[in-house]
Amino acid sequence: MIFPTATFTIFFLIVMPLSWLAMPHVRLWRIFIICASLVFYGWWDWHFVFLLIGCTLWTHFWAIRISRATQESQRRAFLTVALIGQLGLLGYFKYFDFFVNSSHNVAHAAGIDLPDWTRTIVLPVGISFFTFMAISYVVDVFRRELRPAGLLRFGAYLTFFPHLVAGPIVRGSELLPQMKTPRNPRTVDSSRAFFLIGTGLFKKVVIANYLATHIVDPVFAVPGAHSSPEILVAVYAYAVQIYADFAGYTDMAIGLALLLGFVFPQNFNSPYAAGSLQDFWRRWHMTLSRWLRDYLYIPLGGSRKGKLRTTFNLMLTMLLGGLWHGAAWTFVIWGGLHGIGLATERWFRERRGASSRQRHLWLRRLATFNFVCFAWIFFRSDSLALAWQMITGLFTRWGEPAPLVTASVVIWIAVGIGSQYLPARIPEGVMARLSRLSLAWQSLALGATLMLANAMGPQGVAPFIYFRF
Amino acid sequence: MITGPRQPASPPPPTAADRSRLRQFGSAGGGPPTGTGDRRLTSARRAFAIAGIGVVIGLLLDAPGLHKSAFNQPAGWQRTVALDVTGGLEHVSHAVYLDRPRAALKSALGRSHDDRIDTNIDIPVAAAPSSSAAVVGSAAGQSVTPPRVAFSPAHPLRVWIAGDSLVVSPGYALLNDIEHSRSIKSVGGVDGQIATGLERPDVFNWFTTIRAELKKLKPSVVVLSFGGNDDKGYMTGLPKDVSVTEFGDEAWAREYARRVGGVLDLISRAGAYTVWIGLPFTRDPAQSARFERINAVAAQEIAKRPRTAAFVPTDLLLAGSNGGFSQYLMLKSGEMVDARAPDGVHLSSAGGQIVAQKIVEQLYKTFDLTSWRHRSGQVAASG
Repeated sequence: MIFPTATFTIFFLIVMPLSWLAMPHVRLWRIFIICASLVFYGWWDWHFVFLLIGCTLWTHFWAIRISRATQESQRRAFLTVALIGQLGLLGYFKYFDFFVNSSHNVAHAAGIDLPDWTRTIVLPVGISFFTFMAISYVVDVFRRELRPAGLLRFGAYLTFFPHLVAGPIVRGSELLPQMKTPRNPRTVDSSRAFFLIGTGLFKKVVIANYLATHIVDPVFAVPGAHSSPEILVAVYAYAVQIYADFAGYTDMAIGLALLLGFVFPQNFNSPYAAGSLQDFWRRWHMTLSRWLRDYLYIPLGGSRKGKLRTTFNLMLTMLLGGLWHGAAWTFVIWGGLHGIGLATERWFRERRGASSRQRHLWLRRLATFNFVCFAWIFFRSDSLALAWQMITGLFTRWGEPAPLVTASVVIWIAVGIGSQYLPARIPEGVMARLSRLSLAWQSLALGATLMLANAMGPQGVAPFIYFRF
Repeated sequence: MITGPRQPASPPPPTAADRSRLRQFGSAGGGPPTGTGDRRLTSARRAFAIAGIGVVIGLLLDAPGLHKSAFNQPAGWQRTVALDVTGGLEHVSHAVYLDRPRAALKSALGRSHDDRIDTNIDIPVAAAPSSSAAVVGSAAGQSVTPPRVAFSPAHPLRVWIAGDSLVVSPGYALLNDIEHSRSIKSVGGVDGQIATGLERPDVFNWFTTIRAELKKLKPSVVVLSFGGNDDKGYMTGLPKDVSVTEFGDEAWAREYARRVGGVLDLISRAGAYTVWIGLPFTRDPAQSARFERINAVAAQEIAKRPRTAAFVPTDLLLAGSNGGFSQYLMLKSGEMVDARAPDGVHLSSAGGQIVAQKIVEQLYKTFDLTSWRHRSGQVAASG
């Protein structure tokens, strides 16, 4: 089930009142929300419901064992077993075929022919998101930053449908306390919820889909058939498309959670207004960035073990972050580029000192944005060969016509980028005004937004980019 | 609005007094509390009322589009219910003028036709190809191999690629392959329409589209892929005396053959040649079996028209060592490639390249695309 569909609308309009009715009885609510979430997840393929249940039980079991263990060695051993299970799950479903395939081709290049061990494995939707949440939970329990929750509360946390398939990656310390006691039914932040749902819908259904179909997909499919201006605009269009697609989805997720009384962390904060790559990663997919920081970069030593080791830690974190997005070398290169960029930035910062941060903000924003766009080429390309065609095409066909660069395409790109520079008080002001409108006007605003998104969007619903991650 | 505003703090847990109110599903008492950024917080009941009424308003404003979506659904009770509900909504919406804003918006976007339900199948009546249709050769008898029509940079072979979503990957790979060819030219790019086919002109009317595009693009070759969404026993646009209830039975095969044949004749009468991409095996064996049935009908119709169409089978081309579906394929070079999309139905770009290669081979087999080199060489030599 995906959010902008009639099926989900009916599902949510049933779940929302029942959730609030069950809320005073916390145990009943937890059972209800787990069941609702499993229906939501199983709508895609009911077989994988057992995978989700298995991941929940496994994580809960080992978290309890870790918390009850008295000896440090025992705690470490339990954590290791828990992580092996969780990473094994992710590794098998997401990376097994990729590594077999890559090993085969490397061996073949070396003159050794390996048998075909690929398994044709179906990738369960959202597995990267819920396994990362499960990993952070056991690690937090191991670090004694979190007391393990009961099975029902933990189950409700991990399976909670608004974040289940495409994030945000909500930590146990953020959501579990909210699920401890009933949410207050008098303090629902509905104007913010409807604002996020409406804008998220518009970003995804209108902006992302328009740019995808009108320029991004045709150009990235056959870069050789397009002129340099088309390729350049397609790269910028993809930057806006992926932002509108993913941020649109998480906006909807945050809004839906708010309507059920829960607050999710922010996942995007105008990333294309970033003045440096470090700043970009504090604004883009923020819940993944901090996950990588807290559960990978810092445990590796962070910046505490010398310059060389810091660079290595940065590179490894970004390479694995790239691989998290998909089992392909294009993602690894994308992560590697960001790793190199971050390490270079760090080097410059250390040489010039913090005062350099204040200067030439617009120039640094421009450079950061263009670097991010360049890296997106690898992220979006189906193969390294196509990425290379895109890059060479950027420089070699400037005199040719660019029929795909239409006024509408340029306007949507400008809207996508320009809106990132809007002061936060503007959306806050809109939400505040919305919250003061009467019920009728708020309903009318919601209905009109639904109509606008539906009428301006394509017929049917295109899948979200981040589902495959 | 694209920016993401800051998160408010988590609302406080309810007091004992609140708990009793909770049982009444969030009826708020006293003045409205405010949240972060001067927003007024509201009760769950009011939030649900806004959501519910907002959705109803949205339904009324969107009624024509929703009715078309309901019409386009696969046959079954859900479609029947959806049609009844959206049909009623459409009447109400029209009566109270709530369908006008959507119509005005669609008109402004130049997409007025979006909400129209079109089931008209406008194809040539005669299934047999006309004699004037042949573009490939002029031989009267089929036993004689017709001479291959020659194309050159001055008079290139114009290729249009169209079909359902299965055409996208091989279509783009084909564009890549012919990009540097001087005697082959792409016209119209790749027109791949998701979730469409020949069974449901109401979802997307390919018969109308093909007719219009042939007129506009004037292709010499049309590369088509259909059938990926046609493995259902439900068709719209049926002639009055025809009834189809089950996929794959005789009535279905007869009607589907009529449509495939109609498309082929439509193209050949416009003076173009058809290359029909067959359906591949899929991860689901039952779906593979249905695809084989569709392939059989398409191949049979194409076999009736050997001078104007060719069938490019992809099932065995993309089969693994087990003779069936395989995500990964071993190429002749020994390299292993991920040939299929994660859904187990569509092709990856590597899979698309394999199919595109076969299409290119078919084009070179059917047409003379190289003799211009000798001729230009002679001209240059004599000059």
